[in-house]
Amino acid sequence: MNLEERVLAIVKENLEVEAEVSLETDLRKDLEIDSLGLILITTGIEDEFSITIKNTELSDINTVADIVKKIITIQQEINICH
Amino acid sequence: MSFYNQLHIDKGAIERFNPYYCNLESSLTDPIIINGQEFINLASNNYLGLASDERVKEAMINAIKRYGASMCGTPIATGYVDILKKVEERLSKFIGLEDTAIFPSCYQANLGLFSSIVNDKDLIIVDHYAHASLIQGIRLTGCKVKPFLHNDTAHLEKVLQKSSDYQNIFVVTESVFSTEGSLAPFEKIVNLCENYHAIAVVDDSHGIGVIGKSGRGILEEKGIVDFQGIYTASLGKALANSGGIISGKKELIEFLRYSCSSLIYSTALPPAVIGGIDKVLDIIEEDFESIAARMWRYKRLISECLQGCGLKLAEGTAPITSIIGGSLENTIAIAEILFENHILPTPFVPPSVPPNQGKVRLIAGADLKETTMEKVLGIFKEVRF
Repeated sequence: MNLEERVLAIVKENLEVEAEVSLETDLRKDLEIDSLGLILITTGIEDEFSITIKNTELSDINTVADIVKKIITIQQEINICH
Repeated sequence: MSFYNQLHIDKGAIERFNPYYCNLESSLTDPIIINGQEFINLASNNYLGLASDERVKEAMINAIKRYGASMCGTPIATGYVDILKKVEERLSKFIGLEDTAIFPSCYQANLGLFSSIVNDKDLIIVDHYAHASLIQGIRLTGCKVKPFLHNDTAHLEKVLQKSSDYQNIFVVTESVFSTEGSLAPFEKIVNLCENYHAIAVVDDSHGIGVIGKSGRGILEEKGIVDFQGIYTASLGKALANSGGIISGKKELIEFLRYSCSSLIYSTALPPAVIGGIDKVLDIIEEDFESIAARMWRYKRLISECLQGCGLKLAEGTAPITSIIGGSLENTIAIAEILFENHILPTPFVPPSVPPNQGKVRLIAGADLKETTMEKVLGIFKEVRF
């Protein structure tokens, strides 16, 4: 699976009800997830990719594509530090 | 814009019919009086119907006569009257734990608990749909928080497996989820906590005095003995008074007595309330079986009748019947129909429930008369929801 597919799978795994999800899906508007629901998804992402998404960064995330961008940004930061 | 003009709430769907802050003019009798009219109360958490019980009222009056209206002090000062200590000990034995501290409310118990015992090296794993008081209490700690899918122990285990670098791990849930009446798979959660060296924390507010063979709550219901975790509960639901508790190991409760701000800096519950709880425990210990049989019968009658009317209900096993309303507007509309027919329900809309998952909750207390139940069922069959 490529990065986008892995993210889509994790988002689906961490929803309370089954839903159609694409990269354009807006987590709050389309899936109506609450703040704890968003943390549920980002926790799944953190565990899968061994990264940390700070609570202050959650406001950057609206769509699934935003999660993909966030992972790339964090991984790039980690690589620069190393 | 002035400060006070900024404090506007968009009441939208409840502008015309507002089911909240009803003006009750009676005690929780059958019927209750709202704005001078008789209503059937299916809204209170008065599961056992003891809130207006003469024996409880008399015990409260006797406590006032002996101790007065208030001890005018926090428990750490002059609030720790002998009857408070006695009821703490009774509650510990009743639940099956070593020690108990009584708080002014369960909200304050949950709010104060986590910031007293958790530090930034700890992790809290919490059920996605846990009560607002637990979530607020957890957020005050600033520690890492990982939610797990509602009542999903497979997901909880997955989260536990990926959570090893923490000093302490707490797994937090409710026993009975009050908007829908579902029971947590708490015996499985306790097993997982044992396997992964985590500490289980359960809020048994809608379980104490309700579930378990003799009404002792979630630990009795699930056959959990020698519980190593932390237990909180409200004293204002089946126990028909007010206040909240934290129970558990002696070391924990002694620590909280000297470190938990919401306990130390709050005036102790008035002795009348403590006297009332004492009497309710007497009644539960003497007569739970027959009271609970009525409570469960009423729940079955209501659920079966509403299902027969074609309504979709939440799949709860507690003595709670929740009609699935869906949208905010539809949920309020169902509540309005019941209200027009002089039945008082509790509608839950966001943020108390997720968006479009509105529910109308009905709880029939064991004190309702059989004729009242017949009337309720007749109304359900007649009205068009």
